[in-house]
Amino acid sequence: MIPRHTDTVPADAKWTFATRRVPRDAVTGLAPDVAAAQAGDLVLAHVAEIGQHRRVQLPSGRPSEIYPGDAIVLACGARYAPDQFEGLAEIDPAGADLLAGGGCIGRMVSRNERVRPATRLIPAARLLGADGGALNLRDFALPARPDAGTLPVIAVLGTAMNSGKTLATAQTALGLRRAGWRVAALKGTGTGAFGDYNEYSDTGAHVVADFTDAGMVTTYREPLDRVRAGIESLLGHAAAQGCDIAVIEIADGLFQRETAQIIADPWFRGRISGLVFACGDAVAAAGGVAELARHGLRPDAITGMVSCSPMASAEAETATGIPVLRKSDLADPAEANAMALRAGARWPRAA
Amino acid sequence: MKPMLPQSFQTSALSEVCVPTAAGRLSARVIRPAIVTAARPLIVLHGISRNAERLAELFRPEAERSGRLIVVPHFDAARWTHFQRPCRAARPDQALIGLIEHLAAAHPELDGAVDLFGHSGGAQLAHRTAMLYPQRFGTLHLAAAGWYCLPDTRMPYPYGLGTRATDPAAAAWLRRKRATLAAYLGRETHIYVGTDDTARDPALRKTRPLDRVQGRTRRDRAHAYRAAFEDAARAAGITPRVTLTELPGCAHDVEQAIATAGLAARVVRGRDS
Repeated sequence: MIPRHTDTVPADAKWTFATRRVPRDAVTGLAPDVAAAQAGDLVLAHVAEIGQHRRVQLPSGRPSEIYPGDAIVLACGARYAPDQFEGLAEIDPAGADLLAGGGCIGRMVSRNERVRPATRLIPAARLLGADGGALNLRDFALPARPDAGTLPVIAVLGTAMNSGKTLATAQTALGLRRAGWRVAALKGTGTGAFGDYNEYSDTGAHVVADFTDAGMVTTYREPLDRVRAGIESLLGHAAAQGCDIAVIEIADGLFQRETAQIIADPWFRGRISGLVFACGDAVAAAGGVAELARHGLRPDAITGMVSCSPMASAEAETATGIPVLRKSDLADPAEANAMALRAGARWPRAA
Repeated sequence: MKPMLPQSFQTSALSEVCVPTAAGRLSARVIRPAIVTAARPLIVLHGISRNAERLAELFRPEAERSGRLIVVPHFDAARWTHFQRPCRAARPDQALIGLIEHLAAAHPELDGAVDLFGHSGGAQLAHRTAMLYPQRFGTLHLAAAGWYCLPDTRMPYPYGLGTRATDPAAAAWLRRKRATLAAYLGRETHIYVGTDDTARDPALRKTRPLDRVQGRTRRDRAHAYRAAFEDAARAAGITPRVTLTELPGCAHDVEQAIATAGLAARVVRGRDS
């Protein structure tokens, strides 16, 4: 199908989840020079060929089937997903890739053999704001809050994608809420998508936010300073909203570019007051704990797929000396309360 | 100088609620004085007689005199075969916290710390719950508990915080209680027991190690617990705030303790009746 040419964003365009903070009326014009798009710039594109992603995620929290010819508003960004694609925040006017269903458009540079090629998009324009400049997610980020005070932070790290970090984050938030804490469930790094965000929200966490709320469609290939500022902004937001404690997921594995930089950063070691490590088996637990120890970090608990097996859990505990907690343990208010007090959380309505 | 308190200066509303919690449904009676003062709300926990209705009647005048919101949960026998302590079979602690969280929407006073009173099995639940969530509670009032979870390692869990290799299920409870122990030992805690609460009745748990370490009667065990609490607090660098009051002429009977020894007044108003 030949995409429609347009001077404005079509009324029926599907705005993706990554653009959720952008008011529609912020758009005052379009610029056809899509090759100039930078990470975070908003881009109007049309679906050319359906590939791996058959749907995009809407700000309302539901997925939408997409069809050739559909107009979509996305954000230009990179992608780190070993089980799908690696992509860069670059747009070829002749055709671009839907790197993530949450609304990330860029250029795929490699893909996992087990997935289909990326859904192809024909970029139409960059979206412009009132000042004539490109609209970028950073323009709609939460206000920078360089100081989150003393808000205790429980970080969740893992061996890789799909090791159980998101479940661990959500269940810990659930346990903390059940114990009566005002809790923030945050995603510090990754690529924008509503799956994790919704999973956090379903726990009843008082504040849910991710790096997109800090102005990034993805943290992949962003400078460490910016990722760090984004995390501080999320923590500051949580503190400003009256949260007593935050649980923050750091995406992907310990060797992933940004995650490796974060755990090696003294700021991170000083900023967190609790640590949960998600992994798939006992060997991964031992390896992960050893790698973290190299950076002066020691998890308070191990969780993830390993915790599904009592035998694997016993092996992991023996190898590391760290308790292995199932998701039901994390969601247990008594367990979560112990984690909160260990992390230095203070009951604001104390006797 | 103590403020003068009239015998009764107001009325109260008594409502019954049934709250769904993650640990199961828990009903409760809520006594709300017409004018609620700034004093912390009080949770009143019954023992194995499950006499929540009667306790609500007995504490209601004290709520009216003090202006304190009082909540009397009822762990009914049908749903709560076990309620004296959190265990794999039942999580009364979780239900209790869930109840407080739920009621706080209608009674904002419950959003802060609350005081906790329990008699007999209720005292067991009270101190075990406070060990798990110490920051949620202000003053603890523990009356005539049959036995305790000692805040030291002389006895294995659930009698204390010691380990027993043959009981891996205890590891989780020990991990949790050890993490919160210092905060628990900082609570103001009042222990009560009748001077005549010395019977080794069928409801009293009796084992040789328990008798040896905690004592043979509830009276002995109350004294042992106070001593253990004081020692553990000092060992943790905390100045203990624990008292033990013997209720003259009282056996293991909460109604008698309230009627003849002013237990409800001591708990609610911190003074003799």
